[in-house]
Amino acid sequence: MKLYPTIGLEIHAELTTNSKVFCTCSAQFGGEPNSRCCPVCSGLPGTLPVLNAKAVEYIIKAGYIMNCDISRFTKWDRKNYFYPDLPKAYQISQMPRPVCLGGHVNVEVDGETRTMRINRIHLEEDAGKLVHDDSMRVSLADYNRCGIPLIEIVTEPDFHSAAEVVAFFEKIRLMLQYAGVCDGRLEQGSMRCDVNISLAEKNFDTLGTRTEVKNLNSLRSIQRAIEYEIYRQTELIENGERVVQETLHFNDATGETSSLRSKEDAHDYRYFPDPDIPPIIFTEEELAAIKADIPEMPEMRVKRYTEQYGISAADAKILTDTKSISDFFESAVKAYNAPKAIGTFIVVELMRRINLGEISAEDMTLDPADFAHLIELAETGKISKDSRKIILRDMIDGKTAERSAEDNNLWIKEDNELLEKTIDEIMAANPKAVEQYRNGETKVFGFLMGQCGKALKGAAAPASIKTMLEQKLKQ
Amino acid sequence: MELKQQTLSSLRAMLDSKQISATELCKEYTDRIKQKDGELQSFITLCEDEALANAKKADELIAKGEAKPLTGIPFAVKDNICTDGIRTTCASKMLESFIPPYDACVTEKLKGENYVLLGKVSMDEFAMGGSTQTGAFARTKNPFDLNRVPGGSSGGSAAAVSAAFAPAAIGSDTGGSIRQPASFCGVTGLKPTYGRVSRYGLVAFASSLDQIGPIANNAADCGVVLNAICGKDSRDATSVNMPAEDFTAKLGNDIKGMKIALPDEFFSDSTDEEVKNAVLSAAKEYEKLGAELVKCSMSSLKYAVSAYYLIASAEAASNLSRFDGIKYGLRGEGRTFEEMIRDSRTRGFGNEVKRRILLGNYALSSGYYDAYYRKALALKQQIIREYSQIFGTADVILTPTAPTVAYKIGEQETDPVKMYLADICTVTVNIASLPAISTPCGYNKDGMPIGMSLIGKKWDEATLIQTADAFEKDFDRRYSNV
Amino acid sequence: MDTKTIAHLCDLSKLNYTDEGIEKVMGEMEEIIKLMDRVKEIDVTYDDTADNNSISYDMLRKDEAKPSFPAEKLLSNTEPAENCYVVPKMVE
Repeated sequence: MKLYPTIGLEIHAELTTNSKVFCTCSAQFGGEPNSRCCPVCSGLPGTLPVLNAKAVEYIIKAGYIMNCDISRFTKWDRKNYFYPDLPKAYQISQMPRPVCLGGHVNVEVDGETRTMRINRIHLEEDAGKLVHDDSMRVSLADYNRCGIPLIEIVTEPDFHSAAEVVAFFEKIRLMLQYAGVCDGRLEQGSMRCDVNISLAEKNFDTLGTRTEVKNLNSLRSIQRAIEYEIYRQTELIENGERVVQETLHFNDATGETSSLRSKEDAHDYRYFPDPDIPPIIFTEEELAAIKADIPEMPEMRVKRYTEQYGISAADAKILTDTKSISDFFESAVKAYNAPKAIGTFIVVELMRRINLGEISAEDMTLDPADFAHLIELAETGKISKDSRKIILRDMIDGKTAERSAEDNNLWIKEDNELLEKTIDEIMAANPKAVEQYRNGETKVFGFLMGQCGKALKGAAAPASIKTMLEQKLKQ
Repeated sequence: MELKQQTLSSLRAMLDSKQISATELCKEYTDRIKQKDGELQSFITLCEDEALANAKKADELIAKGEAKPLTGIPFAVKDNICTDGIRTTCASKMLESFIPPYDACVTEKLKGENYVLLGKVSMDEFAMGGSTQTGAFARTKNPFDLNRVPGGSSGGSAAAVSAAFAPAAIGSDTGGSIRQPASFCGVTGLKPTYGRVSRYGLVAFASSLDQIGPIANNAADCGVVLNAICGKDSRDATSVNMPAEDFTAKLGNDIKGMKIALPDEFFSDSTDEEVKNAVLSAAKEYEKLGAELVKCSMSSLKYAVSAYYLIASAEAASNLSRFDGIKYGLRGEGRTFEEMIRDSRTRGFGNEVKRRILLGNYALSSGYYDAYYRKALALKQQIIREYSQIFGTADVILTPTAPTVAYKIGEQETDPVKMYLADICTVTVNIASLPAISTPCGYNKDGMPIGMSLIGKKWDEATLIQTADAFEKDFDRRYSNV
Repeated sequence: MDTKTIAHLCDLSKLNYTDEGIEKVMGEMEEIIKLMDRVKEIDVTYDDTADNNSISYDMLRKDEAKPSFPAEKLLSNTEPAENCYVVPKMVE
């Protein structure tokens, strides 16, 4: 019996608005406990939620990039449950009228393109954080995260392997980053994933009992949790035992899942329309304006880089796979229009430095204009191409490109006398090659160029050598 | 000074002409409260020192000629409206020591006029009730008969005005909580259109129905207070941005030709005979003034109480979930979170509040939602349709405010079903988001006040105030013996 | 209204009753629900798009962060620890 996994996802992504979704507190990550709170997000009596327009704009953008239908009429509901990280004892969310319905996203897995369907995307508020204090045998509640806008992307059960899920999650993360609606910082919990898994024989009519693994917040834990759950459920079924429908927690340390105590024993959330938040009606014009404001998606950038800039598909993918890198590239090209040279040097050298941990892609400290200037110096023969690496290293430490070239004495000095003398010497030393060239065998030019370059040791730009050598050979 | 006869305009005139200072006026009221409220029990928290300090400030403004309509006017505020630094209990053990660190929009606006807050007045616990006997503290008596209830839930506000402990008070109305106590205590209460007054800082009972409004000695005074507290508030998304208007502007205008509708169902056998007669004779007075009486019907009225209690309790169950002992309020004991919140809530809430939470969760729980909560929402839409039909041919609707006069303490407030049914005359107004005003229209054989309600079109408070005022002019108003 | 239903409602509501209290409240709830059952007598359906309380997108709050509230004021009605609300230890 071959068991086939069927997987559906609920992805939570925090939106990068300035203020929280229902109050004016800052929506930034972190801060001293309860320093980014007010009576509204702390659930004090008498306070009321007031919806942030930007959060609505962002979920609409998220809907468009995932090919969803945007509801012209949308409203908010209360999801009632008691938990100390939820000060109002209800989460404002959306039930029957989410902002986005339907939709799909294509992902490539092992060279094959698959279409994953989106069921819905709705807007809700994040909950606070609990810190467990063992010495005092209490938990401490910090509400800074309460009210940070969150979208929940619910997929159809279209996934059949951990690899597909990871590829999809990465794609969604990148698209949300490009759309400018989520920073995708997994280490800060900006995106979390709940995974529903069931096993059944392939082509079977009914799916098996499903379990839900909650709150996975890294690609690695998503991958491992799915693989473990497939293994665990397979073992159970093959041993003739039953899979219990339950909510699970994935333990990163052990790599295993375990049953999670439920938030509300009965799971009866008693959803009902939130009377404090009026429903919204969108006009076609408003939706069109929001759609038109969506920045270019990574797939479009790849297309532009390969078609317009002549960058290889592989390099274009590397450049666009990290939004901050792609943005850096775009700014650099604006400063100096040599996309191919800039792109190649980013892929070859800057990415290497990033992978070495010398500089962060997300918190890029390099000035793209100065980076472009570095490329320009090499392209115009002011420095040698090899010198770029040394200079880049200095730039990471905060120097400008010119300062580094100066300090390391990397300027190419145009000494025409030395150049002429050297070329004369090389020509005198290689009379046969000179003869061959003059008889039309121009392919020996490369050999003569090489000899000159070696002798000059970077004291002249290749372009200058080329010009003078050609001149002398034609005499 | 005889405080009972005073209105906001008479007090304004005396303050502005320096016949009396705000400080003296404040003292008159606080002395009277201290002397007589021991019996009446309308105040939960008296703010004498703050009141005198504010009165002093008011005197300075008056001296500089910078007085606004409510500068130096003493007020009583219902204890479910948050007051910065002043205890706000909702008459519940749960919030016995809760001191809000912020003001409600309404108290902020009144502070902006430099009003004088005398104190926080009693109510039914969390505004759930019609007797002001369900609270943990200050079970208020009716100023006309201390053996009777003052009505509720804004019983403290109505009793305070009726006993001349304050010339005006702020209440809240979810299903009649301003109008019914005003009726029982023989004063005037206005429930504005939903969205007219910001709910920010009003401890929520049923968010889709709650509205803050004034209780005062007459309709004109209600208009003056509404002028000060109305308006769109950026902190309440359900408050509505309406063009500025003076709600007293239509006072004195002729009501000739005005069409007043009397829906049959409000005058059924379940309404007390004396009450019915008083309201019908008020209708005759209107006819004499040139108004035209229109017969009409509201066939869904018999479902209204049920629909109201389903909606209100569902919202209340959710709104009151935040009281868990962690952030504020009574903190129970327990080794686990579950034990602790159950203990907090069990000890903090009274019986009526608990029943409504149970009912609300029943109406929302899976398997019952469609049959109860959703059906109640359908009825809400039906009631709105019936009102708009009536308003197709009428300018205002006239009904009794309550089926009876104030009843004896202990008579019915312990029977929930009886209590709920007594709200029949008022709940549809909240369901339909309409404005309504209750003003005295007679007294029964025991001398207890009878109130009539005028219900208006959305945003048409000015006409209600005008119409109520037209009746008040020739009405022989009586004052309580307190 | 049976013991199972009332126990479920108490769980949802986070309320405790004594044995005596539960008997009394069950009786009251029974009567209250009888009154509520009136809504079943009329045939009307709810249309959530017809509530006429919708607002337009441009009426929503502009995304401007304002200074937050002083933590000590927010926490002034409880006994905090390390500027946090204290709850009995939650099992992870």
